[in-house]
Amino acid sequence: MRRVLFTVLSLWLAFGSARAQSATQLRFCLRSEPKTFNPLLVEEDSSDTVRYLTGGVLVRLNRKTQKLEPGLATDWKVSRDGRTIAFTLRPGLKFSDGTSFSAADVAYTVQQMMEPSLHSPIGDTFRSGEGATESKILAADKVAISFPAPVAGLDRLFDQVAIMSASSAKKEMAVLGPYYVSENHAGSYLMLERNPNYWRQDAAGRPLPYIDSIRLDIQQNRDLELLRLERGEIDLVNSIDPEYYEKLVKEKPALAHDAGPSLDSEHMWFNQVPTAAISDYKKAWFQSANFRRAVSEAINRQDLARIAFRGHARPAVGIVSPANQFWFNDKLRPHPFDQKSALQRLQKDGFRLHDGVLRDVNGHVVEFSIITNAGNRYRERMATMIQQDLAGVGMKVNVVTLDFPSLIERITRTFTYEACLLGLVNTDLDPASVMNVWLSSAENHQWSPGEKKPATAWEAEIDRLMRAQASTLDDHRRKQYFDRVQEIAWEQEPFIYLVTKNALSAISTSLSNAQPVVLRPQVFWNVDELKLAPEVAATR
Amino acid sequence: MRRARQLATVFLLLVALASAAAGFLAPSGYAHQFRDTPDASPSRQHWLGTDDLGRDRFARLLYGTRVSLCLAPAAALLSSLLAALIGGVAGFCGGRLEQLVLAGTDLFLSLPWLFLLITIRALLPLNLPPVTSVVITFMLLGCLGWAVAARVICSDAHLLRNCDFILLARASGLGGWRLLVRHLLPNLMPIVYAQFWLSIPIFILTEANLGILGLGVSEPLPSWGTLLRDLESCSSMSHLWQFAPLLLLIAAVSCFHLLVVDREFPA
Amino acid sequence: MADRLLEIRISADYPNKPAVLDDCSLEIGRGEIVGLVGKSGCGKSTLSLALLGLLAWRGGQVRGSIRLNGRDLVGLSEGEMRKLRGREIALVLQSPMSALNPALKLGTQLHEAWKAHSSGSSEACNRAVGEALENVSLPQEPAFLQRYPSQISVGQAQRVLIAMAILHRPPLLIADEPTSALDIITQSEILELFSKVSRKLAMSILYISHDLLSLASISQRVAVMENGAIVECSPTMKIFRDPSHPYTRQLIRALPVIPQVFAAPAR
Ligand SMILES: Nc1ncnc2c1ncn2[C@@H]1O[C@H](COP(=O)(O)OP(=O)(O)OP(=O)(O)O)[C@@H](O)[C@H]1O
Ligand SMILES: [Mg+2]
Repeated sequence: MRRVLFTVLSLWLAFGSARAQSATQLRFCLRSEPKTFNPLLVEEDSSDTVRYLTGGVLVRLNRKTQKLEPGLATDWKVSRDGRTIAFTLRPGLKFSDGTSFSAADVAYTVQQMMEPSLHSPIGDTFRSGEGATESKILAADKVAISFPAPVAGLDRLFDQVAIMSASSAKKEMAVLGPYYVSENHAGSYLMLERNPNYWRQDAAGRPLPYIDSIRLDIQQNRDLELLRLERGEIDLVNSIDPEYYEKLVKEKPALAHDAGPSLDSEHMWFNQVPTAAISDYKKAWFQSANFRRAVSEAINRQDLARIAFRGHARPAVGIVSPANQFWFNDKLRPHPFDQKSALQRLQKDGFRLHDGVLRDVNGHVVEFSIITNAGNRYRERMATMIQQDLAGVGMKVNVVTLDFPSLIERITRTFTYEACLLGLVNTDLDPASVMNVWLSSAENHQWSPGEKKPATAWEAEIDRLMRAQASTLDDHRRKQYFDRVQEIAWEQEPFIYLVTKNALSAISTSLSNAQPVVLRPQVFWNVDELKLAPEVAATR
Repeated sequence: MRRARQLATVFLLLVALASAAAGFLAPSGYAHQFRDTPDASPSRQHWLGTDDLGRDRFARLLYGTRVSLCLAPAAALLSSLLAALIGGVAGFCGGRLEQLVLAGTDLFLSLPWLFLLITIRALLPLNLPPVTSVVITFMLLGCLGWAVAARVICSDAHLLRNCDFILLARASGLGGWRLLVRHLLPNLMPIVYAQFWLSIPIFILTEANLGILGLGVSEPLPSWGTLLRDLESCSSMSHLWQFAPLLLLIAAVSCFHLLVVDREFPA
Repeated sequence: MADRLLEIRISADYPNKPAVLDDCSLEIGRGEIVGLVGKSGCGKSTLSLALLGLLAWRGGQVRGSIRLNGRDLVGLSEGEMRKLRGREIALVLQSPMSALNPALKLGTQLHEAWKAHSSGSSEACNRAVGEALENVSLPQEPAFLQRYPSQISVGQAQRVLIAMAILHRPPLLIADEPTSALDIITQSEILELFSKVSRKLAMSILYISHDLLSLASISQRVAVMENGAIVECSPTMKIFRDPSHPYTRQLIRALPVIPQVFAAPAR
């Protein structure tokens, strides 16, 4: 009898505990179907999300502290010459399919990544010079990787390299991250299951992640995504726009999160391409730092942030957002709104304001057009506000909204524009990622792309500093160089930075432990520590 | 019916008057941004509140009415005349010419106009004053909008061409343009009218969409199109006054219809 | 029949119907009324169109000669033909309602017909129109001319058409079944009108009809058409008394009663 009771009791207990732990599922949307599951070929957002959720990396950039933390490697060291990095691996780890993990897998991944025929976008970030990359397996848990030339910020780059198994039959589907892809319903949704072999544990020794599975619905339509959030069908939206944020604040304030200034900024610039088909006197204006500074000071950034972005933006400082904790030059401040000073600067160049009309030294009326992409309400608003602000110093501005392809055509190929208003999306903290903008020979050097040799002394100086920081390994020395770049850019204003947008997100109240940050992926960067409230979990 | 028509006339006159007197009725102007009070509710100072940049909605409505009420009918007139001319002549002459014109309209309809408009925008200078830009847009619409109407008119003209009264007119020694203009055209008028009234609201809305191509009205000048486009971002039904442009558009177009219906010759 | 106005000897084809008129020959004297009978589809209307040079508009083609006052019309250009139509040869059609342009006021249509050949003052025009209306016993007051075709009776409409046809006092008038759409009383009125007009203006009339009886009452000669050819053409009396062609005999036998006047004396 006692035995029977015991069995019943234990069954009841087992059942009860199963109930208590009934499977939890996190749900959110991908904007498009992931193009690839091969972590080395990731290019677009959706694949990146899957890689972040499933991939195990040697070192992980903590999205909150913006510092590197151990991942699969417990320890790492970059050599003095900046060409070699040595990792000590966590022992006894297994891939999601049970294959064991060792230095050979790291060597395999790096070899694959640097394979020229694969055209891996991540591989490209490591390519600093001609020659082969070598991986040396020093022991089962020790590996050293040597690149042909020094790579700036080498250790951080490994945050993007998800290690693949050299021997698993499941190839890239065998993973080391918190989740693995269990089902893929093309075009509709993706199921990720908790990886039982994931290495991390919480402080109490419980294996992470807490949430059992993730359902990623493919949803292209933004409005539908937001609607599903309001209905409670999904748990988070990584980034929302100010207008929707305001709506949430009114209707469901608990869902709205503002993580402060993000890395993304909005800026405008004048066309300084020497061969551009615009009149010479206009080119002369645009090439004058006084003119650019005057325009900058005549724009009320505070108003742009407050009205165009409903207060969810800050006046921008320069190249680097204050959200980039290490690299931001904190001596710099946003340009003040000061139309008097703007006029003084213009007078230095011989401009005269008369009857509300500004004329240059030769009597040409100052009139130019700003192009921006149509359909972006915030940019259209900013452009219209800038139009009114600049009218305050007698400049006549025409706002032209263009469809995106023809805008790109104009700013990259035909150079038939005068000024352009666009935004910059930054995903990387390291200055290496903006080399392609700030080197005068770069294609994304938008005010005058692909200069054969620097057109101005300050551009030459920026070239020198950017190259210097790229070939220096000591981060503090690099920062000194980059601080100087930020200062020159602030003084010369080839890009007139307008506002830094806030990182806004929406998170369901049932999700706990969420700490939205400005770096991608804003809401689920700590996915392995996220928890779903049990009552919600039970009703699913 | 007569009563309704009188009311419609009075209403349209009032709208026209108000938009003509915009400078007087809404002295704040359509462009000035009252930055301290964006998105304000109606008040004594701003009868319809302010828009997202703090511009007076009432002023924008009046000026927008002026732009659209002048230009959309002008464009509709242009396209209807073109359609009547092309379709009328083709259907009337028949034979090879008709086939050629029909093939031409088909080709015209199948052309990717979006790309053409983009090209046209590329040819236009960027520094266009807003008014010029909107005039060009409406004239373009007028020049491009004839094809569908022309097909309808062509088939009507084709039927008419074999009518007894046209035969008799010929037998009386009439021919050529005179026959076309004096005898055929009056019979095509009802359908030309219909096409005309149909195209006005279409043009108003198309102009709004063309803003996306950098054609159309550019900031800060308002038109019904841009005002309607603003409605897109209007998320809540609580700000009913924001729908004033839509109401005005519907009211104006229906009034026009009222005025025109039954004005044709008694059948 | 020394004084010949018109001599025809033509053949005509439609694209998919050759020889609709097959060597059809007919002569009309000055001031003479010639009746033309034949069963439906035999080519009567085709002949009238051929005379006016309008067959091309129906896709047809004419060969042979049409001599009007000794001048051959077949080779004339469209421009020259146009000058003849309405001034030298006029046409009255079967259904007055469809032959009048529904979109035009009666006055306008008459004025148009007048202006086709005369470029005088509006006074001269009004005078000519007034005279023509008088000849067909229609009211001449302006209010009548302000009406649309839908606002008058069928009989009035046919009179308007006749007025239009005699506006320029053409030597030849072709009446293509002008009475078949009318009630019997109006029919006789119109018939009388035709013979009156012919007498008064010394106008020749080619009077086309199915109706032998009404034809007989006004025409001096009757031509019988079968399959696109004139098979018999004799004075009216002779046709009834002594039809020579089998088809003519068939026609006369088909009459419900043979009018006494024409009946052959008992043998
Ligand atoms: N446009 C045309 N194309 C081809 N055939 C035609 C055309 N018009 C008439 N026909 C044919 O030519 C023939 C003669 O037509 P027509 O109209 O001259 O006859 P009709 O004697 O006037 O007949 P009805 O007494 O019915 O008016 C008919 O068989 C008709 O089908
Ligand atoms: Mg006939």
